[in-house]
Amino acid sequence: MSAELATLPRAAASPAPRSRLRGAWEVFARDRLALVGLAIVVLLVLVAVLAPWIAPDPAQGRGAAAVAQRNLAPSLDHLLGTDPLGRDVLSRVIFGARSALGVALAVVSLAIAIGVPLGLLAGYRGGWVDEAIMRVTDTFLAFPPLLLAMVIVSLLGPSLRNAALALAISWWPWYARLVRGVAASLRERPFVEGARALGLSDAAVMRRHLLPNALGPIVVQATVDVGSVILAAASLAFLGLGAQAPAPDWGLMVFDGRAAIFDHWWYSTFAGLAIFLAVLGFNLVGDALRDALDPREARR
Amino acid sequence: MARFLARRAATAMVVLLGVSFITFMLARVVPADPAASYVGQHARPAEVEEARRALGLDRPLLEQYWTYLKDVASGDWGTSIGTKRSVLSEIGSRFPATLELLLAAIAIAAVLGTVLGVVAARRHGRGLDAALRLFSTAGISMPAFWLGLVLQIVFCYRLGLLPPTGRYASDLQFTSPVEQITGFVLFDSLVTGNFAVFGSAVEHLLLPALTLAAYPTGVIARMVRASMLEALSQDYVRAARAYGVRERVVVWRIALRNALPPATTVLGLTLAYLLTGAFFVEVVFNWPGLGQFTADALLSSDYPAIMGVTLLGAIGYILVNLAVDLVQARLDPRVRLS
Repeated sequence: MSAELATLPRAAASPAPRSRLRGAWEVFARDRLALVGLAIVVLLVLVAVLAPWIAPDPAQGRGAAAVAQRNLAPSLDHLLGTDPLGRDVLSRVIFGARSALGVALAVVSLAIAIGVPLGLLAGYRGGWVDEAIMRVTDTFLAFPPLLLAMVIVSLLGPSLRNAALALAISWWPWYARLVRGVAASLRERPFVEGARALGLSDAAVMRRHLLPNALGPIVVQATVDVGSVILAAASLAFLGLGAQAPAPDWGLMVFDGRAAIFDHWWYSTFAGLAIFLAVLGFNLVGDALRDALDPREARR
Repeated sequence: MARFLARRAATAMVVLLGVSFITFMLARVVPADPAASYVGQHARPAEVEEARRALGLDRPLLEQYWTYLKDVASGDWGTSIGTKRSVLSEIGSRFPATLELLLAAIAIAAVLGTVLGVVAARRHGRGLDAALRLFSTAGISMPAFWLGLVLQIVFCYRLGLLPPTGRYASDLQFTSPVEQITGFVLFDSLVTGNFAVFGSAVEHLLLPALTLAAYPTGVIARMVRASMLEALSQDYVRAARAYGVRERVVVWRIALRNALPPATTVLGLTLAYLLTGAFFVEVVFNWPGLGQFTADALLSSDYPAIMGVTLLGAIGYILVNLAVDLVQARLDPRVRLS
């Protein structure tokens, strides 16, 4: 009963969601760079999903060595050359997309799972709860980006899983802060007070009325963050603090190729190019999403 | 102003306490035994025990934390397990090299980013605007360690124009040694008239500084573009144009002056990025700064060194953010230090 009533105010708060989405898409599609970014992201996802079928040599992509053909320059047989263990670099780069996307999705989901509830709670409750949560958040944000993650991985022991865990630990405060802002700005609004007056529990108010309004900013932030996390995870791997050999990981490949960078330039170069393109794609899409979901932009 | 400073200092202290607590706990909760790593792999159990007592690791955790706080406050940041030297003096001897790199990168990024942002805003919606936006987004999307390697391949290996690694040519150490005044090679060699080292140092600084500048250039360009668009649509700009003020003056003096204060908000974030970004650039270019030291410490679980660098990073970050707030309040009267 109360649940049915409670849906009314939310509908009033965001009229005609369908037309708003269409408007957002129009703003998005008008931006040519956004479409470039979207193409990169779609390509990246396809490559990651289809890796075993499109990689020239899936076994080498996963790590099997073929030392007889080591350090071959790019040619028609090996479009991006081979690495010091004779593996086809193109296959390695293709399989690397799985590692990159996997880590990024894991980290961002975990950061959202921790940060969003805390942010909702802080913004909605206010008072000492807000104060306590935000001071903890501030403390985590007081570390320069990546430094905390580097420290955590080095102390837990370097591995891809620990890298992901460390990145999530240093990333959640951004979501807490973001969602707290939205929740705090809506706390006194009539539709929230109405929902409360109808007897909805705090949890229900947060879930049904505050969370939907924070979704836009969360989606924008998550899109940009997938790119940032790919970059951060690659940086950790480059220091030896992420994925370990023989995993196909872009950051690790740049690191591996660095020793002989002047003789065999292709190994590091193409792996790094993959990182760059992936991050660029998510950044372009994130920018365009921000413009599209921001009602002020739509009027321009 | 004084009250604002006091309040900010108080919050900074609370955050710093939290930071020190996190670093302390991280170093103590982890499975690796600091005492075992201190005495080395081949130590006898009795030696490990002794090291544990000597390092105070047998005391209760909170007591250890209190001791740690007292030590940090009195300038004793522990001894690096890797180099067996005091962490603070390790940091002190490497900091100038890192700061030199940071300042060079900031200078490049501030000039280049502002110019790109203003030009893009003036060509709003045209091809050049899109090209510059792609360029600045590329800047923030590029892994610094990769950009560094690519620049090395092109400029050092293929073209042979610039030296790939180091701070200045190593043979100059003997032929014309630099007098240590500040530890900043560029400054020291210039004041002492040591132009051989100065020239070599500039050559060596160029690529690392450009690499490190890529990200902040992109951030600043994007921010300046956005706030210039805002400024250029204001009435005072229209009024200035109506009075016949030359377009160059309208854009670069009138509009830009009003566009810069909002753009400074990103400065804090940018500088924070630079603190860690420099680590990677230093590793790639063998720059003898804090980054190399930190990378080694991280890989060998040299926890006193790790804690020291982390604490320094957090202090630097907090100070930078405070400075940005102050600059902003000074530039923009609307920010009333609330």
